[in-house]
Amino acid sequence: MNKNLIIKDKLIFTKDLNSKKNREWNPFHSKVAAGIRKGIIPNINQDSKILYLGAAEGYTVSFISDLVENGVVYGIDISPYSMQKLVLLSEERENIIPILEDCNLVDEYKDLIKTKVDLIIQDVSQKNQIEILKKNAKLFLKEKGEIILSLKLSAISQKKINIIDRELKDLETDFRIIRKVRLEPFEKKHILVFAQKK
Amino acid sequence: MNRKEIIEITKQKLKEKLNNADQKIINLAQIIEKVPNNINELYEQLRVITDQEYPTLDQSLTIKEYVLFYLLEEKNEKNIKNLNISEKNIKEIIKIKNSNVSIDLNKDIKEITLNLAKDILNLIETKEKMEFEIDKLLKENYVNAYHVATPKILCKMLEIAGSSKRLSRFPASTIQLLGSEKNFFKALKFNKNTPKYGVIFNHPLVISLPFKNKAKFSRTLAAKIAIAIKADITNNKIYEELDKTIKIKHSKLK
Ligand SMILES: C[S@@+](CC[C@H](N)C(=O)[O-])C[C@H]1O[C@@H](n2cnc3c(N)ncnc32)[C@H](O)[C@@H]1O
Repeated sequence: MNKNLIIKDKLIFTKDLNSKKNREWNPFHSKVAAGIRKGIIPNINQDSKILYLGAAEGYTVSFISDLVENGVVYGIDISPYSMQKLVLLSEERENIIPILEDCNLVDEYKDLIKTKVDLIIQDVSQKNQIEILKKNAKLFLKEKGEIILSLKLSAISQKKINIIDRELKDLETDFRIIRKVRLEPFEKKHILVFAQKK
Repeated sequence: MNRKEIIEITKQKLKEKLNNADQKIINLAQIIEKVPNNINELYEQLRVITDQEYPTLDQSLTIKEYVLFYLLEEKNEKNIKNLNISEKNIKEIIKIKNSNVSIDLNKDIKEITLNLAKDILNLIETKEKMEFEIDKLLKENYVNAYHVATPKILCKMLEIAGSSKRLSRFPASTIQLLGSEKNFFKALKFNKNTPKYGVIFNHPLVISLPFKNKAKFSRTLAAKIAIAIKADITNNKIYEELDKTIKIKHSKLK
């Protein structure tokens, strides 16, 4: 496990990139942290390169940045308001690269990300979330690279759970699902999927 | 490209996006949408108290007229006439001076209600300024669509589309239905007829037509709006020609 990730008494901490102090990571605010509580421990090491789709203001991104001390996190988000904060965060944290783009439009940023990444984390709650992930993985994820995908149940359909199954089937054409968990009680109506590129 | 360069690119894009006219228009429009209900509610609550002083004051006064009247220090005929109030309403206001059922509010309550009246007036005037600003931005940036669609409808369409770029890529059939999304899905769900028009339904030229011709005309109008917004993106002025064809079509359907 990553030496900057500390789990004790059901609390999750990371060792802060700058201050080296422990910082608590709240699973009620971060789906990745909720996933850790539910047993999805991603293989992130100090040199990992990570692509984060739906970085928002960077709450989760900041903890990922603690974990990849010598690596890098590309944080993509479409909202300029969120991006203002993410840019500020990247000024304090040398391993964050903020990109203001729609992650449907990979061609717009493919020249900015020239290396392949080890892990893609996606949290965008869009109807075509699987399509977005596949597009990005095709261009940016290395062979056998991993993904963490947050699936919002209602982003796909209001009622039919079996649509989720269909989405997962769709995902399985390119990925081998390692684990999937519901995020209750931390986040309602969300499934976190951990998978590996085939 | 290294990290510093990418951050610079992101900052540049950020500025462009935040400075863009669409974003300003949409932000202002979304504030305005939240304002009116609040003013009405505040106004009604204010009148519950102040009508004790002016019980016969006409209910048909606009909020602004009423507040201006209420804020007048001396409510004599001359002062009232100086306000920007319609002739008919002035008569009503002057009439109340002779009412004998009014009570005087005590000093503290008077002060509270006067402050509230000022806040209401402020809110109304700020709203008017925002509307003026939106109007100006629309006219400066989308002069064709401004004329063809009317500023109100254009603004709503921009808001729904999210940007002029996106709006300019919509086909006329989509433009005709913009704003009816909710009804559209409802209709599908309950197997009803799908809606024939969205916000375009509120266009004065559509309103002025007999019901049976509204759908037909809104199709034409949507097609012209689609052309207009495309021309705005490429900076061509063509609204006069568009207007002409629209008017001809309209007069045939009247
Ligand atoms: C639920 S938030 C993500 C929260 C974040 N993962 C965290 O835990 O701190 C979803 C984000 O996705 C972004 N988003 C939605 N659609 C997008 C798209 N097509 N491209 C890029 N970002 C998008 C939104 O702007 C929003 O900031």
